[in-house]
Parts: sequence; structure tokens; C-alpha cells
Amino acid sequence: MSLAISNGLDNTVERPGERASLVLGGSTYSSVTEAVCRIAEQPPSRAWVIGFMISAALASWLGICIGWLFYQGVGVWGNRSPVFWGWPIVNFVFWVGIGHAGTLISAILYLFRQDWRTSINRAAEAMTIFAVVCAATFPGIHVGRAWLAFWLAPYPSLNLWMWPQFRSPLLWDVFAVSTYGTVSLLFWYMGMVPDLATFRDRSKNKWRRMAYGILSLGWTGSSRHWMRYEKAYALLAAFAAPLVLSVHTIVSFDFAVSQVPGWHTTIFPPYFVAGAIFSGFAMVLTLMIPCRSIFSLEKLITIRHLENMCKVILATGSIVGLAYGTEFFIAWYGQVPAEQFAFTNRAFGPYWWAYWTMVTCNVISPQLFWVKKFRTTPWIIVVISIFVNIGMWFERFVIVITSLSRDYLPSAWGYFEPTWVDWSMLIGSFGLFFTLFLLFCRLMPVINMAEVKATLAQEIRMSHQDDHH
Amino acid sequence: MTEVKKNSRVHGIIAEYTSVDALLKASRRIRDAGYKKTDAFTPFPVHGIDEALGIKPTVLPWIALAGGLTGTCTALAMQIWMNGFDYPYIISGKPYISLPAFMPVAFELTVLFASFGAFFGMWALNGLPRFSNPMFTDPRFDRVTDDRFFLYIDAKDDRFDSAGVQKLLGETGTEYINSVYEDDTPSSMPKFIPITLAVLMALSIIPALIVAKMRVTKSSAPRFHVFYDMDFSPAKDMQQTTTLFADGRAMRPDVVGTVARGQMSQDLDFMTGVDVEALSRLDMPRAQRLARAYSPSALQDDEPAAEKPAADEAVKEEVKPTTEEKPTTEEKPAAEEKPAASETPAESKGVEAEKKDAKEPASESTPAEPKKEEPAAEAKPAEAAPVEAKPAEKMTEAPKPVAEEKAAAEEKPADAEQASEATAVTPPVAVPAVDNTPWLKENPLAVSAETLAKGQEQFEIYCAVCHGASGSGNGLVHRRAQKILATTWNPPSSLHDEAISSEKYPDGKLFSTITNGIRKMPGYGSQIKVQDRWAIVAYVRALQQSQNASIDLVPEDQRKQIEARKKEVEKALAEQAEAEKKRAEEASKSASTK
Repeated sequence: MSLAISNGLDNTVERPGERASLVLGGSTYSSVTEAVCRIAEQPPSRAWVIGFMISAALASWLGICIGWLFYQGVGVWGNRSPVFWGWPIVNFVFWVGIGHAGTLISAILYLFRQDWRTSINRAAEAMTIFAVVCAATFPGIHVGRAWLAFWLAPYPSLNLWMWPQFRSPLLWDVFAVSTYGTVSLLFWYMGMVPDLATFRDRSKNKWRRMAYGILSLGWTGSSRHWMRYEKAYALLAAFAAPLVLSVHTIVSFDFAVSQVPGWHTTIFPPYFVAGAIFSGFAMVLTLMIPCRSIFSLEKLITIRHLENMCKVILATGSIVGLAYGTEFFIAWYGQVPAEQFAFTNRAFGPYWWAYWTMVTCNVISPQLFWVKKFRTTPWIIVVISIFVNIGMWFERFVIVITSLSRDYLPSAWGYFEPTWVDWSMLIGSFGLFFTLFLLFCRLMPVINMAEVKATLAQEIRMSHQDDHH
Repeated sequence: MTEVKKNSRVHGIIAEYTSVDALLKASRRIRDAGYKKTDAFTPFPVHGIDEALGIKPTVLPWIALAGGLTGTCTALAMQIWMNGFDYPYIISGKPYISLPAFMPVAFELTVLFASFGAFFGMWALNGLPRFSNPMFTDPRFDRVTDDRFFLYIDAKDDRFDSAGVQKLLGETGTEYINSVYEDDTPSSMPKFIPITLAVLMALSIIPALIVAKMRVTKSSAPRFHVFYDMDFSPAKDMQQTTTLFADGRAMRPDVVGTVARGQMSQDLDFMTGVDVEALSRLDMPRAQRLARAYSPSALQDDEPAAEKPAADEAVKEEVKPTTEEKPTTEEKPAAEEKPAASETPAESKGVEAEKKDAKEPASESTPAEPKKEEPAAEAKPAEAAPVEAKPAEKMTEAPKPVAEEKAAAEEKPADAEQASEATAVTPPVAVPAVDNTPWLKENPLAVSAETLAKGQEQFEIYCAVCHGASGSGNGLVHRRAQKILATTWNPPSSLHDEAISSEKYPDGKLFSTITNGIRKMPGYGSQIKVQDRWAIVAYVRALQQSQNASIDLVPEDQRKQIEARKKEVEKALAEQAEAEKKRAEEASKSASTK
């Protein structure tokens, strides 16, 4: 059963006429199962426990802050005239953007038959869902009376006697984000069912077996089931691919459809989508590289996987940089004084520090990935990915805050000051995200075993064919 | 689960393989042997197994398509009905049914429903979830999700024969063949699970029941509020009493020592058109009243009630009976019309004034009836003899409306600006003897081209309708009144009249007239800004000059222009006259020929 890896452990070298191996180190079907299931079956490592305690504490702090917000009202935030969309919306757009990489990896790379997605798609999808959870929290509490957030839904209300306004991007947003969350959840769960069945079949404990048995819905691996399952997976991928592009497009409509200088631009949809993929991949790398070394998954998540993702970051980072330049060009070329002022103010106004942080992190730092050494050294990738995430948060900050603080009414201009609640909620949302992700690592299959095995089977067949020739 | 009861019926036979190739080979073998009810169990989707086992394609894409179409239709129908019919919104001038704006939601729901179709359709077609499966009774079958491949022939297959099948499978290089028996273990859940679930469900209904109960209750007790929202907002209209504030007023008076935006009166002379310093030497109480009326602190509690707005007064009456001692009739601006001496007029007089007010419209509607004491008399044309009751000063003046205007305007500046509108339409009850008011003689505004332009603009907006663009008193309203022979019409003064010249009618007085009105003319104090009123005064003076000036006053370089223009106008007039003449001649000719 052992598999000859033709070009050794370094699978980043391209050899003409040969397909680089994506599963390394003489892996077999059972060794793949073992490597993935061990993570959940072993008692938690010290690192996991410490990480979980910290992130759970932060998540609880987020919960306390939300309670405080409900008790006090939205005045606890720094949202003041004229900046009524403060950090909550910045955080919302940031997290929704993070949530794009998962479905992109799962759906679009699946449709393009990029096999290297198999070992990272599960974690990326989970990350998507947790990011959407974080994202959905913010507009939910930002509506002011959060206990009435259900008014967003078109339901026959006896209190209001009215329906939502369907011509508003804010309502499109409700539908887009909730659809995206739902479809991502279905996609993630469906992909996980065969692996949950593996967990079930390996379980020694009766309760564990029962729990995983319920979650895996009685999966047997019947070929008829697989056939329909693969069809459904392809269909969901085909639906999710345009969906993932539509979601951030609609999020960008929140801004682009308004008339605020600096928001009212047609470049927003493509620019937001590129930025979302950019930040999402950076977040996947930030999470996967530590996971990979903590859980010893180097053979499944190889350097080649990391390198491919770095290339995506390089490409989307360049698109984002181009978009920044284009915005300035159009502001100049369009000859609208308000727009020109908005962009000059962005770069050289009171928030210059945010703008140049954004440019440094988003445009300059990913350019380092032109060097192969940087693309293949995990700790450098992590550092650059963290920079990209910081930069993408600042991008949203720049868009939301600078434009609102200098709107059409100069007498109302102001300078945004975040409060301790703003800070707590930003940090707390990371706590929530990492809590969910760490729980996922312990309880669910972090790597799509079935797909990795299918890739392995393909490689075995290829090597057999090579033997015959 | 792992206990197998040998006496049960056989469900089928499985064979285990360790590689994909072996499985595919064996599958083709049993397909060729003619077995139909077969299946393979694998840890991952094996390519080529469908063909090897003869598995037919699935209808799943059609279910997804149906789901997607349902989503599109649902979304469009929902949006069109909700926003176009049931609750039509007008948003940025878009039509009620604005399809482009409905596309994003339609797209999202299409994807959502199609995904539901694919997801739930797949599980339904697969017959999952199914937690009890005979396959699970074989302990070796646990490895099907790890690294083993199983081939299965169902006992219901027509060609099924235990020994034959075992022999056939044995020839395919398998290491393990086993019969799977029907799972006879009780398939029911452990009892505590349904009980727990039932209890939880019952508990979860309780909040919903409480809410439902609260919604239909006939109790008169206040609604239960988790969050108060703004349901108990203590908002009040003005002129209502409230328990919210100690003084009982619903509206807050201005904060002591502050001035509201636009209410700052730096210069009392500028605001009133009166030389207040001179007035204070002449008539101190009147100057004080004037100053108070224009000062922002007029609204404070410690001020006499006379200058308070009506709203405050009404509240006071309701809540604080102690303030009754102060005259309450001041809320009627008519009372203020009285001579300056009576700072706090008696209540009876106020009532009288009110009665006269009430009578006035009636007298207007019957103008034929001569009422000497009533203001309606003033409405009579100028040729009427001066009224006996008029003061001596007036008698010396020409008996023209302008003279009356002067008299009537006298006391008005003393009124608060708030009252000016009301005073303007309310004729004076009694007319003071002499106008000794020290009016400002000069326009305090620096007269410049800009000022005049502003004055002209404002004049043409507010004044020209009656006084005419040239100020000669033949504005559109006046002409219309003449045309319909309006009996109550009081012709507007010609601004070029001698009586309104700057010597006889000082700038300050003109300003005051604009502010407070005169006779039929309403006051414009509330509509025109102070500066602009002064600008109008400047413009009126310029108009007056323009009508009586000689060409020598015009600068040298502009004279030619004016002369050229004059010639043009004269020529045009001559042509017009000629044309008129011709027409008349033709008309007479045609008349004579007939």
C-alpha cells in the first residue's frame, strides 16, 4: 500500500509531465484516518487548553459587553455624529470578508478541479462559518434595539403592519449574509458527514458513538449514496461559487449605493470581493500553519498547499493595490470636488495613519511573496498573513470612518474615537472566533479524510500507470 | 450492535477488499454474473464504480433546479406583492415594481432554495438518516470508513443463492466474506431520550404560550415590557401641562443667560429703527418695554408677563394660579396696541379690544356702513374726508392714507417681534396724539451696490406685488383689486409720495413699517431678516431718487447708455402708438365701409 513519492518531500518543485504529490511521506488510507482522528481522540494538548481558555474568556467578555450594550444602549460605542457606522460595521465587513475564503476554496477550487484544496477545505469552511457568526453578531447588535432585530425578516407583523423595504442594500445584505451562512453551513456539514461516520466507527465510547452516529446520519459509504453525494456536492459548489461572489458584492452595495463621497463608486464590488478573498486566505494561513504543526499534519497540509495559498494572496493583494490606485485615479479623473476631497483626506487627512497602515500591510507586505523563500517558510507566511489581516481591518476602518467623518456637511465633521466597548467587542469577536475554531479542532474532523483518500487513490493509480509504461 | 443473531434472516453477503482495483474487478465480475441488487461500500467515492456496478444517474439536479426556480418565483412574488401592492413604498422615485432592485434578493433566494433542493434531496434519495442498518452488525464493517472496500450482494436479488454467491466472491481475491443478518436488536431509542425530548419541548412551548396569552388578554393592566423602548416617552405638545418638570410646563423656556441662534440682538436701534437712547430720555417706560420686548431674556420667568409668549402664559394659568394676578390678556397682541402709557392694561380694556377685534371682520364685509371709530373707515378711498377722531397732527397733513399710515405705525415698534404679525392685521384701537418717536434718520446699514441688490431682490419678492416694481403703488395685487372692483381694498401707497420722502418719513420709521405693517399691510418682521429689511429701506430710497432725479446725477459714462435706452424705449413707444393708430383707422375704415 505504500506509495512512492517520486520527487521526495519537496513537492513545490514543478517537474514537467509529472503531477506533484499532495499527500506525502508514504501515507496510506489508514494513516490518513489515523492522523486526522488522533487530533480528536487524544486528550487535549496543553497548548489547546491554554488557547481555549484565553479565547473562551475573551468570548465571554464579548457576551458581557453585548449585555452592557443592551442595558445601556448604543451610546456605549464611539458612534457619534457624523460617524454613525463605527467599529461595529467595520468589524462586520471585516469578518464577512474573512468568511469568503472557505467557500471560495471549497466551491471555486472544486469546480476548477484544484486537488490541493482537499486538505485545507474543511478547516477553511469551518472558519467561514465561524467568521459569519462573528460577522452576523455585529449588524444584529448595531440595529439599536437588538431584541427587535427580527424586524429585518419579512414576516406578517402584528406590531408594524408593514413589510421590509426591498430596494435597500441593507435588506439585500440581510438576505445575502443569511443565505451565505446557511449554504456554507450545509456545504460544510454535508462535506463532513462521511468523516463523522469515520469518527463514529472509530469510537470506543458508547455515548461518543451515539453522538457521532446521529451527526453522521447513518452514513455507510454505499456507492449509490456516494454517487448522489458527489452530485449534490458539485451542485452546491456550483451554487456557492456565484453566491460567494454575490455576498461581498452586496456588502459593498451598502456603501456604493449611498452617496457619501468615497463610497459612491462602481469599483466597490470587485474590489470588495478581491479584498475578501485576500483577507480570507490570510486568515486560513494564520490558522492552518499553527494547527499543522501542533497537530502534526505536515504530510497532509504540505508546503505546496501553503505556497499555492500564498500565490492567491499575492494575486488578490495586487488586485486590491490596483483598486486603491484606481480609486484615486477616478477621483481625480471624475473631477467631482467632493470625491477628490474625500480621497485626499483619506491619505493625508486626520486618518492618514490608518490609510498608510492599510497600504503598507495590504499592498506592500504581500509583494514579498514574489520570493519563493518567503512563500515556503511557514513562520514568514504567518507573519505576512497577520499583517494582511491587520491591513484588511484597517481598509474597512478607512472606508467607513474617513468617509463618514468628512461628509457633505462640514459643520458636522468630527473625529471618531473608539470607546472601551468598541475595543472589547473587536477583541472579543476574535475570542468567539477562536473558541469556535478550537472546539471544531477537538470535536470535528479538521481535514476532509474522504477527499484526501480519493486524491491518494488517484496518485496510487497514476503511479501504477507509470509502472506499467 | 455487534451481536449477530444467527437465527435471523440473511440480509445479504459482503466481501472485503483492500484496494480500489480489486473492488472494481470484483464489481465487474458480479455485474457480468447478472446480479442486480448489488452495492459497494467505500471510504471515499471510487471512480468507475457506477459503471462497474451499473448504477443509474440520479435525478438530483432536477430537484435542485426545481428548488432554484421555486426560490426565484418566491422571491419575486414576495417582493412585488409586499412592496408593490400590500404596502407600496415610494423610494427615490422608483416604480413600485422595480425589478432591478429586486434582483439581489431573488438571486439569493434562488441559490438558497436550490441548495436546499440539492442538500435535502440528496439525503432523501439516499434514504438517510437511517440509524439502524444491518450492515453495522458486522464489526469489520467499521473499517469501511477507514481503509476497506466492501462489495455487497443483497439477499433479495433474483439470482441470490448463499453458496453460489460465496463461491463467486471467493474467486475475486477477497480476504473476508460474511453473511449479514437482519438487525433484530430493538430499534427503539433508550427511554430517557424521548422523555427528555418531550419534557424539553413542553418547556419550550411555555414562553410562546405566555406571549400568546398576553396578546389576547383583556386585562386592563399595563402591558408587560421587557424593554421599554419608547412606549412610555413623556413627550408632550406645547400648551399642555406635564408632571415631568417642577414648573408644570411641557416646553422648556430658554436657559437663563443664553441666546438662541439667530436671536442675538446686538443693537437695539438696528432691531427697532428707533434711537432708543433718545427715546429713554423722552419716555423711559416705553424705552424699557421696547428693550425688554427685544431682549432674549424676555422669556424668563422673572420678567413681567407682558412680554411672555402665549404658550407660557397658558401653562401658567393652568398650573400656577398664583400668577393669575398678572394680567392674562397680554397674550392677545391686540392689547399691546394701546397707548404706551398703559403698561398693564386693565382686563376689561383687553376684553374690549378683543371684542372690537371680533367685530372688525363684520364691518369689513359691510363696507357701506360708515363706522367712524372703526378701522374699516380707513379702508375707504383717500378722497374720503379725514375722520374727526384723528389727532391734530394728522389734520395738518394731507388727508391721504399715507398720513394715517404714519399715525398707525407709531406705537408698533414697541411690540415684541413675536406679536408683530398679529398687530399688523389688527388696527389700532386708539390713536396716540403726536408721533414724537425719535426714529433713526439714517439707514444703519452701509449702503453699497450689494446692499441695494439685496434690497431690490427682497423688495421684488415681498413688496412689489402690491407696491409695484417701481414703487408707484400699482403692483399686481392692486391692479387685480381694481379690476374686480374690490370694495374693501385699501390701495397701497405710492412710495414716491412726498409723505414717504426721507425728510418726512425717516428711515427708521420705514423700517418699522416694514417690520410691523400698517393698515392692511402685514408686518414682514417674521419673514425678512433685519439686515434685509434695512436693505429694502435703502432700495426704497434709491427708487424714490430714481423717479425724481435729473440726468446730471448719473455718472458721465452711463449717461449715453441711458439715453440710448431712452431713445429705444421712445422709439418702441412711438411705433406702438403708430401701430395702434393704424389699427384704429383700419377698424374705423372697415366700420365705415360696412
